[in-house]
Amino acid sequence: MPQVKIIAKNFMDMVASLPAMKLDKLYENAFICESVLRSLPPLAKKYVLQMLYIDVPVSAKLLEVWVLADGFSKHKVAIDRLIQLRVLTETVDRKKETTYRLSSTFQINVQKHIVHGGVLPREPMPSNITVRLPSLDDLEAYATEQWESFLLHLISSSQAERATNFSSSMMKIFQRGLLSQRDKETPRLTESGFQFLLMDTNAQLWYIIREYITNSEERGVDPADLISFLLELSFHVTGEAYNSKTLTDFQRNAIKDLEDLGLVKLQQGRKESWFIPTKLVTNLSISLSDSSSRKQGFVVVETNFRIYAYSSSKLHCEILRLFSRIEYQLPNLIVGAITKESLYNAFENGITAEQIISFLQQNAHPRVAERIPCVTENVTDQIRLWESDLNRVEMTPAHLCDEFPSRDVFEAACDFAREYSAMLWEDSKQMRLVVKSEILVHMREFLRSQK
Amino acid sequence: MLLFLVIFDSVIADDVSLLMVLVDTNPFFWSTTNNALSFSKFLSHVLAFLNSTLLLNQLNQVVVIATGFNSCDYVYDSSSNSVAPNQRTERLLQKLEEFVIKDEQLSKEESADGIGSSLLSGSLSMALCYIQRVFRSGPLHPQPRILCLHGSPDGPQQYVAIMNAIFSAQRSMVPIDSCVIGAQHSAFLQQASYITGGVYLKPQQLDGLFQYLATVFATDLHSRNFLQLPKPVGVDFRASCFCHKNTIDMGYICSVCLSIFCKHHKKCSTCGSVFGQAQTNAPSTSKQKRKSPDT
Repeated sequence: MPQVKIIAKNFMDMVASLPAMKLDKLYENAFICESVLRSLPPLAKKYVLQMLYIDVPVSAKLLEVWVLADGFSKHKVAIDRLIQLRVLTETVDRKKETTYRLSSTFQINVQKHIVHGGVLPREPMPSNITVRLPSLDDLEAYATEQWESFLLHLISSSQAERATNFSSSMMKIFQRGLLSQRDKETPRLTESGFQFLLMDTNAQLWYIIREYITNSEERGVDPADLISFLLELSFHVTGEAYNSKTLTDFQRNAIKDLEDLGLVKLQQGRKESWFIPTKLVTNLSISLSDSSSRKQGFVVVETNFRIYAYSSSKLHCEILRLFSRIEYQLPNLIVGAITKESLYNAFENGITAEQIISFLQQNAHPRVAERIPCVTENVTDQIRLWESDLNRVEMTPAHLCDEFPSRDVFEAACDFAREYSAMLWEDSKQMRLVVKSEILVHMREFLRSQK
Repeated sequence: MLLFLVIFDSVIADDVSLLMVLVDTNPFFWSTTNNALSFSKFLSHVLAFLNSTLLLNQLNQVVVIATGFNSCDYVYDSSSNSVAPNQRTERLLQKLEEFVIKDEQLSKEESADGIGSSLLSGSLSMALCYIQRVFRSGPLHPQPRILCLHGSPDGPQQYVAIMNAIFSAQRSMVPIDSCVIGAQHSAFLQQASYITGGVYLKPQQLDGLFQYLATVFATDLHSRNFLQLPKPVGVDFRASCFCHKNTIDMGYICSVCLSIFCKHHKKCSTCGSVFGQAQTNAPSTSKQKRKSPDT
């Protein structure tokens, strides 16, 4: 069975997979250059900066001189990444010397940025037109609420209180892989669906955005346009209002979808309408690793396996219910217990012990997050033990071979199986052996040749 | 069965850095005519460097401290959100101008002869204080480093304060990078970079300062593990004496508190220990560094 994993892919991998023509065109947008640069591994960033004002090709040797012996793999990763994103072009000349050159549009854009400092993609609207702008806290609450209601809608449409703007076909696309529906039963979360819920918000967001973009062609939208719009949005200032008139038609359509995800808030004034970017969208261009740990947690796990979650969110409750028994819920507190039964239930659904533990660790309440370890060891150990309890029996598909014509053939067959390390069991008296089924074909051929 | 593409962000990029830049604004140094680099040119290189640092990672933070002749002050802090990115330079230059004028007013009473030294000890301490505050802000803070862009000659009278700052930086594992733009090497900064594991560099061609800054000093602490950065050829370890602030390579040391003196004293000026008679009759006078406290 193929291993099913769902991990939010970095946005830049998607950018890198665009065709070369489109990618070169994207670099004409300064914001894309900026966010591409920020997404690079540290060493690659340094190389770009180093080559920024060099107009002649730089030989590979010149860069390698700087690298220490144990940093060579990092160097390789950095250079590969730069070439993959077409920031660097590699040429090998007649003398087999490799030289690199920065993409000229990229180079010019970054140079401009460095000289002038960053520029804002749009001027925010003056505050005399935009009345009743939400405060930053309100905006964040709004974003979280939108996002959670979207998630609730995603996992169980019946529980959501509000309808979303997304068409049901769009919703189906998001649900693909996360939910499975057999005939007319209610949809069930798949393993990857559970794993999706345990990821942090930014990773979840990326997953949805990725589906949204890959699907954009079917809706008649160019993925490159969508990518550049999203990246541009991520450079707006959180909490400022921007005039919707500055958007193109396609962008105006897209921004409605983004509102449902909590990425922007749309407001209507007397004459003008405007959009306000939330934290979710300005965090988009931050790579996954940076953001995952910079969030306030809410879960306290005690040594007696009880969980206290300081949250009023329905979604958090649903997530905790995946692996624990919820005992009662107060206005701002969810109290549950991790039990053997609740965990077995989770394991059956394909959640692993590591995922549960990392969820508890990542979302640890600030008071316990300071402690090391932030989830008590007896709990984590027990979770792992209960998981390994289930794996006491290992299943290996196998085949039994018997009725060998002679002892020689039997012995040869045994040796053959051992050679492939596929021998599971042998009984030399009755001349029977059990082999892993993956070598069955070879075994047959081998026995045929023995005859 | 659906198979999701799995690409984890395998390189965990922990290159978020806090860069404290100490800019030498000593007017006596910048007015010397033999400077290959004018102050305005120097600033344009530095501003480009600051912009590039902020460009590399949105969590990067830059703080600029001006090191004047009589005072030092914070000139720019990128973490204060009030400044839009395109007004960054204007704001910085404006604050810098205010600082230079204020610094000049302070110095009117004294008459300086030649190039005086600038107040490096003060700005180093300010940078370290700022870093300490960042350390205490929580478990997730950017990795700090200090970059001294220094041109004025060393002021031996600041020896003790600078050494204390250096050791404090060493204790909190903050590297001090030094980029010397003056004519002479700086013994203080050589020691600072050597002790704290930073990079000391005296660029040969000052008109290409940005390239030096971008190639060497832009390297974040994470990448320094994989790169070969310039190593010092030699470090001037000479100390200044506590009594006359002269730079000496041989002298008297208090055996109680390790204070350094160029001449024999009856009593240690730092800790008050009373010394015995110096043995002046011995032929090998060079080995007379030891003193025994008279208890």
